[in-house]
Amino acid sequence: MDLSLTEQQELLKTTARDFMEREASKDILLELEETESGYSDELWQKASDIGWLGMLVPEQYGGSGSSLTDAAVVYEQMGAGPLSGPFFSSGVLGALTILEAGTEGQRQRYLPSIAVGREIAALALTEPDYGWGPDSVSMRAQPTDNGYVLSGTKLFVHDAASATTLITAVRARGHEGMTLMMVDANTPGVSTRLLSGFMGWVGEVTYDSVEVSADAVLGEPGSAWQPLQRAFQKAIPILCAYQVGGSQAVFDMTLEYSRTRIQFGNPIGRFQRVQDHIVNIINHLDAARWTTYEALWKLDSDRLTDNGVETSIHLAKAVTTEGYYQACNGAHEVHAGIGVMKDYGLTLHTQMSRTLYHYLGDPRFHRKRMAETLDF
Amino acid sequence: MDFEPRYTEEQQTFRTEVRDWLKDNVPDDLANPADSADTTYDDYLQYRALGRDLGEKGWLWPTAPTEYGGGGLTIDHAIVLDEELDEYSLSLPPYYDSGGRLGGASILVWGDDDQKERFLPPIFKGEVRTWQLLTEPNAGSDLAGVQISAVRDGDDYVINGQKIFVGSSHGAEQYWTITCTDPDGDRHQNLSWFIVPAETPGLTVVPMDLLIAGGEGGAGTGHKNTIFFDNVRVPASNLIGGENNGWQVATTHLELEHGSGGTIRRNRLVDRLFDYARELKRDGQPISKDPEVQELLVDVFVEAEISRLFGLRNYWMRHAHQKLAHEGPQSSYYRKTSGLRMGEAILKILGPYALTDDPKWDKSDSHMEVFQRSSIVALHPGGTAEIQKVIMSRRLGIGRQVREQAGRLA
Ligand SMILES: Cc1cc2nc3c(=O)[nH]c(=O)nc-3n(C[C@H](O)[C@H](O)[C@H](O)COP(=O)(O)OP(=O)(O)OC[C@H]3O[C@@H](n4cnc5c(N)ncnc54)[C@H](O)[C@@H]3O)c2cc1C
Repeated sequence: MDLSLTEQQELLKTTARDFMEREASKDILLELEETESGYSDELWQKASDIGWLGMLVPEQYGGSGSSLTDAAVVYEQMGAGPLSGPFFSSGVLGALTILEAGTEGQRQRYLPSIAVGREIAALALTEPDYGWGPDSVSMRAQPTDNGYVLSGTKLFVHDAASATTLITAVRARGHEGMTLMMVDANTPGVSTRLLSGFMGWVGEVTYDSVEVSADAVLGEPGSAWQPLQRAFQKAIPILCAYQVGGSQAVFDMTLEYSRTRIQFGNPIGRFQRVQDHIVNIINHLDAARWTTYEALWKLDSDRLTDNGVETSIHLAKAVTTEGYYQACNGAHEVHAGIGVMKDYGLTLHTQMSRTLYHYLGDPRFHRKRMAETLDF
Repeated sequence: MDFEPRYTEEQQTFRTEVRDWLKDNVPDDLANPADSADTTYDDYLQYRALGRDLGEKGWLWPTAPTEYGGGGLTIDHAIVLDEELDEYSLSLPPYYDSGGRLGGASILVWGDDDQKERFLPPIFKGEVRTWQLLTEPNAGSDLAGVQISAVRDGDDYVINGQKIFVGSSHGAEQYWTITCTDPDGDRHQNLSWFIVPAETPGLTVVPMDLLIAGGEGGAGTGHKNTIFFDNVRVPASNLIGGENNGWQVATTHLELEHGSGGTIRRNRLVDRLFDYARELKRDGQPISKDPEVQELLVDVFVEAEISRLFGLRNYWMRHAHQKLAHEGPQSSYYRKTSGLRMGEAILKILGPYALTDDPKWDKSDSHMEVFQRSSIVALHPGGTAEIQKVIMSRRLGIGRQVREQAGRLA
């Protein structure tokens, strides 16, 4: 047993941390918070240049074919920002979905440009009747002579506004199962709109009689659910790693503040009530970290057939999502006034922990899945 | 024991009078946005005008003594006023003001006759709006550690320093503030309170950018500010409670701020949430029919009921002149921490709908999204949740022989 990162992963981590410090400091992130996409062209280009969008794209499609753990090491550093922008949407979830569900031709067509950040993919699955299960997609695709017509609404779509391709989940007439369609965001009839509120870069996509050709179908019509689940299984632990990074940053800033903030002549960290909050945060953080790492290890070491892998993934998702949320709450208790000042930076995490709370299934969703995989 | 407000004939007559008056005098185009920072200046002016009209009738601070411009009414009347205003989602005063409940009430206890005559009528009649200026960058929970200095110079005091997290949007006419009058003096024996007219030269107000301004129990606060004092000259006659006696005054002020005043208002959030849950569909049916959602809805209901009862108890205790101990900070503590738990439950119940105020999809006029932010921010004003626990412990005599007494309210 050895729970340490490899030397090469340590290097990845340092490089990623340096990049974040240089290119995505708190001040930059506060500025990006005000933008529709969450990134700037310059930042996007630089991140693409160091390969952040192609990590999970196999070499034959222009990526670096890294392991999930390698990617997670980088995402953990991104989460510490927290870095906004469609990195996960496109470089992880988008790429994995195309890889799992697409035909060889579709992989060749999309993956190389996703790997260099030229195309940005976002998954448009959830609808006003919100959920992540197999029954949550009801939007229809009506077959025509040479393709399909799509009409309906997708809601709470992450990075909808910056996507060039919307991987749209539909029910194609004549097929029981779910179908994924590669829809160019510029197709007439497609419109995206950012939703305002205590969340970032989540939008609504409306499809008003959108015509797509038959080859827009990713893989075979009606058979996308299984490959999409495989993509989810790999993507989720990476999202978890991002949340672990966020929780770590929240812990770090809280611990530091407890040492330097003086009230009643003492650093506030001397008060046991403050200690309790910080101890809670690190418990959440460590729980998140180790559930995530174990899930990654199971996936990378090809334990896919191991029946524990699914449970591990659900466990990690439930624990890290709850953990990031609670870590932020605890940090607010410790920081009091200064923590709610926007320019302090804590609220970037608070908002991100909320933005990601339901994404790819909220903790309750994953707890229920665990109840199934544990087969009581 | 009787929880039901029993109304006397006199009260019901009063109710009719209030109801008619409100119908004629509350402008119907007054917006009451979920985030009080969204209140426009025009609306603010209308709220102020309504406040003055209420003040004119003695209904703005109904139980404050008539000799100082209050209504001189009984608690029974105050209850009726509260209830009737609640029908308009309004409270007394109908805008953010720390004057009547905190500053005015403290002056009533600690001011001299001349000060009561000068300062109280404008407050109780709604002619001036007062902000409370307590917190500083280095003095939050540790209020006794304020550093802003007030130095006697002839008939004046000259004030220099900085206050943060104070006030609201759209300005005020005066500030109620605690200063340090003896930097070398013993702790708790070196502080003094002043009323500072807002137009005094040397004051600069800079808005702060917060997650949301949050509430302090009463009407929404709008945004918060930093206020800089640069050689601000205040007549010595504006010193309340005597030089270096500020901590005594503070105990009165804080007692009220910590929730001892109580409230009989309902928390409308729960009604809004229930309505939302009946409307929002998942898997084709209202989420309120889902047994798991029902459990969470009940969690929220339980939290809200306990909060309501603590507020109700304190309201009764205060007005029935019962001796208060841990009850004030308890109600404050519970409201703060249950707010956080309710926020989490609502996030689970509504899913991402809880996070958006998008007019097309949100069915709560922004209230749910605002609550996701305000329940975090509300942990801090008037003393953090943890500080409420500290005070409760002292009042209960945990680990000490002598229980700390509640601050003087009259
Ligand atoms: C929305 C909002 C509105 C506000 N409105 C006003 C206003 O109108 N006027 C005004 O003057 N101020 C106002 N405040 C300021 C508020 O009163 C302070 O934020 C609060 O008292 C806490 O002070 P602080 O932020 O400096 O935190 P700190 O005092 O620095 O506290 C940091 C942490 O230390 C803990 N702590 C401190 N001392 C102890 C102790 N002895 N034992 C255990 N734990 C301790 C706290 O609980 C907290 O977790 C407002 C604040 C907010 C956020």
